[in-house]
Amino acid sequence: MKLSDKEQLQQTIELTRALLSDLENEEIQSAQDKIEALSGNGDEDLFVEIGKLTRRLHEALNSFRLDTRITDIAASEIPDAKDRLNYVIERTEEAANKTMDKVEHCNQLADVIAKDSQELLSEWQKLYRRELAPGDFRKLCKRIESHLEKNKNSAEKLNSELSDVLLAQDYQDLTGQVIRQVITLVHDVEESMVNVIKMFGSIDRYQAAKGKILQPKGSEGPIVNKDKRNDVVSGQDEVDDLLSSLGF
Amino acid sequence: MKILVVDDFSTMRRIIKNLLRDLGFTNTHEADDGNTALPMLQTGNFDFLITDWNMPGMQGIDLLKAVRADEKLKSIPVLMVTAESKREQIIEAAQAGVNGYIVKPFTAATLNEKLGKIFERIDG
Repeated sequence: MKLSDKEQLQQTIELTRALLSDLENEEIQSAQDKIEALSGNGDEDLFVEIGKLTRRLHEALNSFRLDTRITDIAASEIPDAKDRLNYVIERTEEAANKTMDKVEHCNQLADVIAKDSQELLSEWQKLYRRELAPGDFRKLCKRIESHLEKNKNSAEKLNSELSDVLLAQDYQDLTGQVIRQVITLVHDVEESMVNVIKMFGSIDRYQAAKGKILQPKGSEGPIVNKDKRNDVVSGQDEVDDLLSSLGF
Repeated sequence: MKILVVDDFSTMRRIIKNLLRDLGFTNTHEADDGNTALPMLQTGNFDFLITDWNMPGMQGIDLLKAVRADEKLKSIPVLMVTAESKREQIIEAAQAGVNGYIVKPFTAATLNEKLGKIFERIDG
């Protein structure tokens, strides 16, 4: 009995559905029988359809895997990233305070050297002007000796404080590494979001939004893309120009 | 001259205080946002206010507006030192009655120059 085209199509569809259900239930033997039965029909298009279905199954499985990646990101990697960024704030604050402590101490040492030197210089000039009493010369020599000794010690202290200032800059390496890790995470989040958009949303709208430069209202802190923005000033000169145009 | 420095970051307060000290201003006090600054201003007889814009709690622009709206404080000179660099913000600060506006990062020379200009205007 020869089946009509329509009947054959109907049969093929039913067999294919049954095949898909076998595949989903991992009933391989039964699936293989059905594939043989289908290939018996000699319908080349069918294999193309199966190919498409397999591809969809593969994509569905992938999107399931993507879901677990998003879960990991939300559950542990983002909180971890917050800790990392807080670490950056702490380390940079610590380094700034340490540097300022050391610099303030250097300032004090330099102030003392300048003040002592100035005093000694006026005494020394008295000597040139022959205003120094004979007994005072011996005192001046003593003072010069003690001044040189003190300067030597101060210079050593300055050196050690300045080395500490140098060492305090190691925060840049440590925080740089941490920030790089967070950048990698942001990149992963971006990729996952783009995948979700591809799967469920509109990739056209995404592409259109991609070119836009955000110009948020209200305070933003430092602007990092000043060259791409037309609503911000580039520096103090432009602030001054703007204020003077307003009558300041 | 008694000066109040308002910034949420202690390092920035310290930098400004150090620069002020180098310029000869040693009577400086600190607050970390507008909410702590305002009561200090109301009772502290301050001659000058330096404030950041972006702070948790009360922002610098709101502190400026509160100062200008307070009968006792309205003539106190206010210098804004901030990373906020949008034109509309600078205009907003100007309209609210700011006396000077410095964008971060800034130099000691800029601070010196702006302070000088403000005092010149007050004295003159």
